[in-house]
Amino acid sequence: MFEDNLFDKAFNLFSRVQQQDFEYVYRGYFTHNITKKILTLADLNIQKAVPFSTIQKRIYYIMVEGIQNITRHQDEIFTGNEEYPGIFAIQKQKDRYYVTTGNLVLNEKIPILKDKIKQINSLEKDELKKFHKDILRSGVISDKGGAGLGLIEMARKSDNKLVSSFELINENYSYFYLQTQIPTTKTSSLDGDVEELKLRKSLISIKKLHLSLIIENILLYFNGFFNQENLLSLLSIIKGRLNISITTIRLSNVMVEMIQNIIKHGAKGEDDNGAPGIFFIQQREKGDFALTSGNYIPEKDANVLQEKIDNVNSLSKDELGEYYDKILLDLDSVTSKKSGLGLPDLRIKSGQKLTYNFHKLEEDLYFYILQTTVTNKKS
Amino acid sequence: MEPLILQATEDTPEIVFDPDQNTFKISKISVPEDAYEFYYPIIQWIKDYSKNPLDQTSVEFDLEYVNSASAKQLIQLLLALEDLGRENNVTIKWYYEAIDEDMQMLGKRFKNLADIDFEFIEI
Repeated sequence: MFEDNLFDKAFNLFSRVQQQDFEYVYRGYFTHNITKKILTLADLNIQKAVPFSTIQKRIYYIMVEGIQNITRHQDEIFTGNEEYPGIFAIQKQKDRYYVTTGNLVLNEKIPILKDKIKQINSLEKDELKKFHKDILRSGVISDKGGAGLGLIEMARKSDNKLVSSFELINENYSYFYLQTQIPTTKTSSLDGDVEELKLRKSLISIKKLHLSLIIENILLYFNGFFNQENLLSLLSIIKGRLNISITTIRLSNVMVEMIQNIIKHGAKGEDDNGAPGIFFIQQREKGDFALTSGNYIPEKDANVLQEKIDNVNSLSKDELGEYYDKILLDLDSVTSKKSGLGLPDLRIKSGQKLTYNFHKLEEDLYFYILQTTVTNKKS
Repeated sequence: MEPLILQATEDTPEIVFDPDQNTFKISKISVPEDAYEFYYPIIQWIKDYSKNPLDQTSVEFDLEYVNSASAKQLIQLLLALEDLGRENNVTIKWYYEAIDEDMQMLGKRFKNLADIDFEFIEI
């Protein structure tokens, strides 16, 4: 009936990042427009989560530097290496944010990068400031504005050491992971071995996640709170990522329905940020796409929902059309935000049965995973 | 009658209902979370307009994205136009991009449910 394997993976991905309290992960090519949207999306969430505007600004600044670090060398490296796109992740924990980037670098550049980071980490606050000035003054800046200025700025703004890691891909390239942490409370100073260990642990979790995203060929991955603002940013990111065709228009339509499904029906978090959940798009053979969403729902809703999906799945094409029309014209639900059209709409657009799974998490709470397929059609 | 003009937002369409200019157009994106809230005043406007309409009302639908919640409100809008059409001349122009099967399909669905003249225009 459904691919157990993928459901397990979705659930595992979700539970793992839940433990790590992820905010947001993007994997793929970074265009100007996508970068803008990623920053908007991240900024919206940070503004809600962090009370101090100086810290918001710092996080934003570090995100910009981090993404520029990826894009600066992206083009010369990306060509021929399309299967190894970069990753950008923001993780929120109780009293800090982690900003992590991962991108391809030439193996021959690794020693220089390592030296730069080691040097930056060895300097105290005042020394870093001086170092920054010295570089600016001496004018020893590479044609791409490199010279480690971005790295120095990230270390300065975060007021913490940079953590890096390299993962060998082949004889020419490696992944370069760079992580920065920013405390979100004004008093907390993050020194000592324990902090170093936490940081390492968080970096390892992102590397593992990145690896599964690559193996599963996942184009877009979002884990965090779902609300209308986030949906619009994600929609814009996916539009920027794919060429327009029958298939990708439908993909966008299906994506809107699935995410609004989470927004409207998913169990909400404690604050008003939206419903926590996961959404990802996997590209499959022949250009097909699989879209997967996961969110929490109360037990009573789970039973009703399962009946609805089974019903929608049991209908023939003609019956499905009649069913859709009936709900479309249903006057009782005209004023409700919950139109009831989401599931039949998904079933019609994907042309296939909807697959789903419910994981019982605790008394009265389920994790609901829904998957739809969009088949590639030649335009 | 006062025209109804709404600028498009990131998730709601542009509305230009202006009898003086003989323009009735709804365009761009319609994917709001609360579609009822958005469409209720628009449907009310059509009902008010129906009390003293032009001889000929041609309504253009030129939409890029429509979520299912909006579809549910659009059919109510079309049914209000169907009412108007009982004693007046009403036509719908339904625009869709050649590669957008879903938009074409939605238009056909509406055509079957509302008793009004539909003209389909591929762009």
